[in-house]
Amino acid sequence: MSLFWLVIRQLAEIEAMAASKKVITREEWEKKLNDVKIRKEDMNRLVMNFLVTEGYVEVAEKFRMESGTEPDIDLATITDRMAVKKAVQSGNVEDAIEKVNDLNPEILDTNPQLFFHLQQQRLIELIRNGKVEEALEFAQEELAPRGEENQSFLEELERTVALLAFEDVSNCPVGELLDISQRLKTASEVNAAILTSQSHEKDPKLPSLLKMLIWAQNQLDEKAAYPRINDLSSAILEDPTV
Amino acid sequence: MSESNGNSKKRNVGDQDLGLYFLEACRDREMKEEGMEEEEEAPRELNTINSSGGFVVVSTDKLSVKYTSVNLHGHDVGVIQANKPAPTKRLIYYFEIHVKDAGVKGQIAIGFTSETFKMRRQPGWEANSCGYHGDDGLLYHGHGKGEAFGPTFTSGDVVGAGINFAAQEFFFTKNGQVVGSVNKDMKGPLFPTVAVHSQNEEVHVNFGQKPFTFDLKEFEAQERMKQQLKIEEISVPPNVSYGIVRSYLLHYGYEDTLKSFDVASESTVPPIYIAQENRSHEQEITYALNHRKTLRQLIRNGDIDTAFDKLREWYPQIVEDNTSATCFLLHCQKFIELVRVGALEEAVKYGRIELTCFFGLPVFEDLVQDCVALLAYEQPLESSVGYLLKDSQREVVADTVNAMILSTNPNVKESKHCLHSYLERLLRQLTACCLERRLLNGEQGEAFQLPRVLSSSKRGSC
Repeated sequence: MSLFWLVIRQLAEIEAMAASKKVITREEWEKKLNDVKIRKEDMNRLVMNFLVTEGYVEVAEKFRMESGTEPDIDLATITDRMAVKKAVQSGNVEDAIEKVNDLNPEILDTNPQLFFHLQQQRLIELIRNGKVEEALEFAQEELAPRGEENQSFLEELERTVALLAFEDVSNCPVGELLDISQRLKTASEVNAAILTSQSHEKDPKLPSLLKMLIWAQNQLDEKAAYPRINDLSSAILEDPTV
Repeated sequence: MSESNGNSKKRNVGDQDLGLYFLEACRDREMKEEGMEEEEEAPRELNTINSSGGFVVVSTDKLSVKYTSVNLHGHDVGVIQANKPAPTKRLIYYFEIHVKDAGVKGQIAIGFTSETFKMRRQPGWEANSCGYHGDDGLLYHGHGKGEAFGPTFTSGDVVGAGINFAAQEFFFTKNGQVVGSVNKDMKGPLFPTVAVHSQNEEVHVNFGQKPFTFDLKEFEAQERMKQQLKIEEISVPPNVSYGIVRSYLLHYGYEDTLKSFDVASESTVPPIYIAQENRSHEQEITYALNHRKTLRQLIRNGDIDTAFDKLREWYPQIVEDNTSATCFLLHCQKFIELVRVGALEEAVKYGRIELTCFFGLPVFEDLVQDCVALLAYEQPLESSVGYLLKDSQREVVADTVNAMILSTNPNVKESKHCLHSYLERLLRQLTACCLERRLLNGEQGEAFQLPRVLSSSKRGSC
């Protein structure tokens, strides 16, 4: 086929696509937006769900008073959950494990991966604090037996112990284990497990809804040109590009 | 002077619009407490008029069909459709048959057909139809040649047919298990259809009046989860949720919550950092934060008199026109509060002074009538106008006052921007996009509904 025909065909295709795409003006779209009814109490519940899941217990309490929205979980349990999270974040892993078991011993019993990650974090903290002997002993006695059960645990253990091989850990390939982000990762894993054990979702709904908005806009893009919101943080409606 | 006159007039018009918006909101609330979409009509029974008469007998409850003659050729099939097409504004439509008797040959079929389907042919044999056949287990999809699909079915089996509007597929089940699915390439209304084609074949149809053998709820949950997993892959900027929650608290004047939120997000590890550019926009909604908080508290506590006093002191322009929607809502609320505490005589007196002037005015009339109707009931909370005594009514009034105060900010260019928080704008956009997409899809699929999202909880898999 000659290039000419190829171009002609492509043009025809583009034309067909453009023709099939509906154009919705700002005025029309705003009318549609106005027909949408969002209930205030639903938005309040959404905000409360965010505060509670993220663990802002004092904020949730204030919001309950100011808006009359009931939290979907007992606020007292948030305090306990946050204490565990904070303990991991500040490196007191032993303390965290004790607290989790006080809360509900089943959480660690039924979740070997989480328990391993907590023990691994404990090992990391020992190495961070330069307690080489203690770290070795702990790795051999507590972690190695678990590695035998599970190949990926073993690999993780080896990676962690590798920290001991380096004088200057700031420059070693597994140095990221000592990073604050590792603590945060472990902390959020415990947090999620506690929420799940309380039959609560581990993530707040709001971020999912924002993702859903992006998805819905992308889906509609295939069929129509309409005013989009591209910047979620300012929620500004932008004119359709035709 | 003429200029200032013009200005005040313009503002007045804007203000009126704002108050009226909330007035409408409270009427909507009354009508649709649940905020859910109205249900489409679904099939309930077999259509006895448009069926292949002569070959079949339909039971009196219109839910069973039996082939009573002897079949001779391919054009004497006993076909029967449901009385209504499958509703489309949902994720899944589904129905089931129970094969009571497979008859002489077991040539039973289940599927979907268009309105103009030839009622003497098996579903699937003709264009615009699709059927799963019991004698050979094949799937027929628009012509007489079937494709390998699933097991055969016979007496005692329960077989189901469904449309998955999200995936645009037909699917079939046997005894509670999914057999398979096939692309749905038919447009327009689709009727649930069953066919019998040999002597004594008899099936019973279940349009959902009885529990299905197939776990439809679980199937729906899985389908939603599939979609959700795709959506979860999308990334959003970090902390954008924090910013949206913060602006929500600011917008509605939840000042104590906001302060606590700021303290908490600073002490979070790592601290939450909300981009600077968002903060600049905030000035607009930081406006009069403390006044807005105070007024919200007063209204939430039912202290309308003090709320009026404070408004007269701080924002006389909002309450200067006693016939504005805002004043009207406040007067109604005062009346409601009097009813709440049982001060009925005082309520009557107050109503005569402040509410009678709104009778006969189209936008105000509904609410006035509902307020007055409170007097008629011994247990007003249990009555049809009980919604007025709920906290949410106080909230609407507080939100109205809040928006009115925001609109007095000289930096606000368009007063309609004071109506919605960012969160609300995003949720509206989300809803509108889903509705529009469905509209362009021939009204197929379910709409986005915030209440459903809020009440669903993902299973505790971690």
